Amino acid sequence: MAIDFGALGPEIALAVTALVVLAADLSLRGPAKQLVNPVAAAGTVVAIALTLRLWGDERSTFGGTFVIDSLALTFKLLFLGTLLAVLGISWRFFAEGRYFQGEYYFLIVTAFLGMVLMPSARDLLTLFVALETVSIPAFVMVGLRKRDLYSSEASLKFFLIGVLSVAIMLLGMSLVYGFTGTTSLTGIAEAIAATQTPGSETPLLLAAVLLIVVGFGFKVSAVPFHFWAPDTYAGAPMPVTAMLAVASKAAGFVGLTLVAFAAFAPLAGAWAPVLGVVALATMTVGNLGALQQRDVVRLLAYSSVAQAGYILLPFGVARGGTDALSLAVNQTAFRAVLLYLVAYAVMNIGAFAVVIGVARRSGLRATADYAGLGARSPLLGGAMTVFLLSLGGAPLTVGLWAKFAIVEALTVDVTAFGLVLAAGLVVNSVIAFFYYLRLIRGIWMEAPAEGAPVPQPGFNLSLVVVGLAALTVVLGVLPALVTDTTSVVTLALGR
Amino acid sequence: MTLGGQYGTVAVMVVFGAVLYAIIMLLNRLMRPSVPSPLKLSTYECGVDAVGSGWSQMNIRYYVFAFLFVIFDVEAIFLFPWAVIFGDLTSSTTPSALYALVAMFLFIATLLEGLAYAWRKGVLRWE
Amino acid sequence: MTAIPIGAHLILAALIFTVGLVGVLIRRNLIVLFMCVELMLNAVNLTLVAASRIWGAADGQVFTFFIIVVAAAEVVVGLAILVNLFFRRGTVDVDVPSLLRS
Repeated sequence: MAIDFGALGPEIALAVTALVVLAADLSLRGPAKQLVNPVAAAGTVVAIALTLRLWGDERSTFGGTFVIDSLALTFKLLFLGTLLAVLGISWRFFAEGRYFQGEYYFLIVTAFLGMVLMPSARDLLTLFVALETVSIPAFVMVGLRKRDLYSSEASLKFFLIGVLSVAIMLLGMSLVYGFTGTTSLTGIAEAIAATQTPGSETPLLLAAVLLIVVGFGFKVSAVPFHFWAPDTYAGAPMPVTAMLAVASKAAGFVGLTLVAFAAFAPLAGAWAPVLGVVALATMTVGNLGALQQRDVVRLLAYSSVAQAGYILLPFGVARGGTDALSLAVNQTAFRAVLLYLVAYAVMNIGAFAVVIGVARRSGLRATADYAGLGARSPLLGGAMTVFLLSLGGAPLTVGLWAKFAIVEALTVDVTAFGLVLAAGLVVNSVIAFFYYLRLIRGIWMEAPAEGAPVPQPGFNLSLVVVGLAALTVVLGVLPALVTDTTSVVTLALGR
Repeated sequence: MTLGGQYGTVAVMVVFGAVLYAIIMLLNRLMRPSVPSPLKLSTYECGVDAVGSGWSQMNIRYYVFAFLFVIFDVEAIFLFPWAVIFGDLTSSTTPSALYALVAMFLFIATLLEGLAYAWRKGVLRWE
Repeated sequence: MTAIPIGAHLILAALIFTVGLVGVLIRRNLIVLFMCVELMLNAVNLTLVAASRIWGAADGQVFTFFIIVVAAAEVVVGLAILVNLFFRRGTVDVDVPSLLRS
């Protein structure tokens, strides 16, 4: 069995980058340590180039457990782009704080290695390894400020929830393997289709599927497994929070998409309603929680719980059948998830970048500190306005099209449940606008507090903020740029 | 042998062991002299008395060594399946013996970088 | 020689997993919590190995290898966090009032 190393290019590039970063950290001293950031960024650019070189290919290796297709490549590009943005917002933050820089860059590249592996995984084992490659560095990164009690406690809480969810997910995986005799996702789908009759499935198999879904529910911080998210996000160093809220969550969604649509599609009748209800609860709890927050990081944390609810909505209408309509429903649902994840990455990383820029040197992160930000720093104020409007789903931003895609997915085939979910989305979008607009009003309408400092975000961070804000607006005006790309991404099931 | 037969063997062993133990202890009791003294009840009949409770705190440095040991010890699990098939590989098989050797050394090199990291950070020094 | 029936392995695994889960939910000492999580993972390993034997394939055993390694890595990270927190707080009880309770 020859291994197709070309197909593994992006992963190999990231793995080598991680090892080089660690070695560089050992050989550099003092202020020169911050040079590991450009080293990591260079490795990421190489990985992006290798991904683009594979564009359009359909390959698989390791006996079909690792696959290159349009789905895998699109997500790989999304994750690698996110990594570049996170590196951009991390430089000053870690160089100026007395943090463990070398370790941080090693860990973040390793975590992204797991994410890049995730969309290529077509096997429970590969999925598990990819998921843990994301999680274990994340546990350490959250606790990186080890002299800070907040950071340590956030890390411990995150760790306990993480290992518990993995244990539960693994029990589900082991039972599914016991039933089907294979760990390959397509093999599982075939075995289930061959042995189970719709409507009278083996209860233990359904329980196993739900255990796996629950495990991913922890990862994407869906209700009722969301309670760790605000605390962990508030306690972690801010660039790590951005990484957790966007990339780690997106990786969880990729894993959920793969097991849900590739392995357990025949059982959709059992898990789809559950995920639909969870989605409704998640966005409502997230938005109501966000309304009460006075700390911007916690506000964004609850907002990202709500966003996870929106992304879960299309899973609620998935179908188990193999007729043309069911396949169309699943395909549209999948594309809505993909489009929303792209939009979410752009706007949420942007919002966290602004928060880091404002907090630099001053450490200010209360919503009251954003009063008059527009007057003090038009760049940060303007960009924050764009990101918040986009998170709310206002016209001329990419957020509107992302929400539009979800409504479209919910109404491909009009059902009562689909309409309930769509109505929930609309109501929640209105609630969300309350707190987004309150913050925007503070930025532009209120006078800054006496002696409020002028934020100095630094060059790299400004570049990331401007780039992401421009992307939010450009994609908002010309959504075809991304929808044309995502429309060719098909959920290849028969492989 | 049936399942009952297998467990039957175990049961016979348990009964036999218990009876043997009882006989030996009984003989011992019958034959030995009995001279009780408070000294015989102390933890150590000879040597230094124990100080403090049994729950004393370990030096934290043991933990760091234990962590390192666990990581490198468990990684060795991947050597076993490799070693099982390595004997069957030659230059004409796929993968070739050389290929398998290089692959394993790359794996070990990755682990060694971790060890080098621990070394340079001063984790291995006892001071 | 007949083997122990396969159902027995699965029942034992389910029992061990339940012991671990209940332990995680009711115990308050973090080190005990870690041990309970290990119990849960080992129950999964037992299920996988038993299932592997039903199907006469090695996939489940390979999966077990990876779980063992990942569990070791996880527990070392967890203990490192715990030791660090112990230095700051002087206790390993999860219920000690925390700064992060919202």
